Amino acid sequence: MKPFTLTLMAGTLLAAVTQAETPNSGHAGHDAHAHHTPMLAEPVEHGHSLFHLDAAWQTQAGQVFKLEELAGRPTIITMIYGSCTTACPVLVNDARRIDRAAPDAIRDELQVVIVSFDPTRDTPERLADYAADYEVDPKRWQFLHGDPADIRTLAAMLGVRYRDNGDGTFDHSNVVTLLDAQGRIVERNEGLARPVEPIVEALVKLRASSRAAGMAAW
Amino acid sequence: MRTLLIILTLALPPAVAAEDTGIVFIGGGDWGLPIVQEDTGAPGRVDDFLLDVRQVTNGEFLDFVRAKPEWRRDRAPGIFRDARYLSHWPKADALGEGNAAPDRPVTRVSWYAARAYCREIGGRLPTMTEWEYASEKQRETLGVAPEDYAHELFSWYANPGAGALRPVSQGPAPGLGIHDLHGLVLEWVEDFQLVLGRGDDIDLLTGSCGDTARFLPEFDEAHYATFLRFQSRSNYQPDTTTSTLGFRCAYDPE
Repeated sequence: MKPFTLTLMAGTLLAAVTQAETPNSGHAGHDAHAHHTPMLAEPVEHGHSLFHLDAAWQTQAGQVFKLEELAGRPTIITMIYGSCTTACPVLVNDARRIDRAAPDAIRDELQVVIVSFDPTRDTPERLADYAADYEVDPKRWQFLHGDPADIRTLAAMLGVRYRDNGDGTFDHSNVVTLLDAQGRIVERNEGLARPVEPIVEALVKLRASSRAAGMAAW
Repeated sequence: MRTLLIILTLALPPAVAAEDTGIVFIGGGDWGLPIVQEDTGAPGRVDDFLLDVRQVTNGEFLDFVRAKPEWRRDRAPGIFRDARYLSHWPKADALGEGNAAPDRPVTRVSWYAARAYCREIGGRLPTMTEWEYASEKQRETLGVAPEDYAHELFSWYANPGAGALRPVSQGPAPGLGIHDLHGLVLEWVEDFQLVLGRGDDIDLLTGSCGDTARFLPEFDEAHYATFLRFQSRSNYQPDTTTSTLGFRCAYDPE
């Protein structure tokens, strides 16, 4: 439990520092984790649903989970690994910042998915500890463990590049992505400790457009 | 007669055994990619793996598409392939002549489709390191001089789509017993998106000569020829399909 708490603290501190210093920099936090270099994300131009990925994941509660279960409500999704003490806590914190900044009515319906690159170490049990440290709503937040081939597929769909360095660390892109209720990519935030407004505004817009279309939900 | 058969069997090179199973064992070793990603100070290591002797053919891919109709060109979700996926086949479930013939390497397949095929038969795509390792071991085994390797690749890469594709695996399998690593069609690898160094903000396609040189530990023709292959990979998206890009599968040893 201890390492996770420390990790979380470090991440929160780092987020605070980088935010204060470079609120609008494209690669905030770049220098703050010199031994862990981010990989630029791939551009993603497709307008297709990620729910086509028919993979069986496991949640931090040990339950089987498919991406299509996210249908009907918007989702914030990002990819991390649990033993990462630098960028990943910031990414999870970024997702939490978006979650907290969203209007109450939207937040109640918002889903957050954190997918691990590291199925060997990030067992569902370990992800459960991780989730507990972040004190997030376990009904809306899923920390997913998956098959290596499925992780690679999902990363490709999200334009996330990553490499297993073989020593317990991974190089990876830092991207937080917003999916609409149909699983399509609406907005991507690349970098660490980025302003939450673009994604929050996209969420509000999604809600408004579904309302305007006469839909009760998303 | 029996004696003769035994002698014949003993005289057969190992490549023939691989030819029968269609899969060759590649012994691992310490090895780093010829294109520098970042010098971590630690030597690279390739574990033992198995590799298809031949590229996957249209005929084999048709069998897959029939078994898994969700990968037909008229059914595969758009996120998994661009609009040209298998477009050279006359029908979604029928082959034709020339580059659409059963014995030609399948092309116009996306990375997603190639991975789905390999997974279906119990394999996976080779990693970039595995593929490059096999290529280098093949070159060494054949005793091809680096300059000759470079010149062959330059002429092929200059016009990879020239003319009709020949059937896969013509003649005896060379070197390690692997057909067509170079000269027929390019091949997908599992981690094709990792062509660049760690976070380097460099576009391989438009990089200057200085950028190019930074990736090459040795600046000679052979390394530059290899670099061109990495450059082509950097131009793919996972849904990309082209007439010059196919694949073969790899497997983990039992």
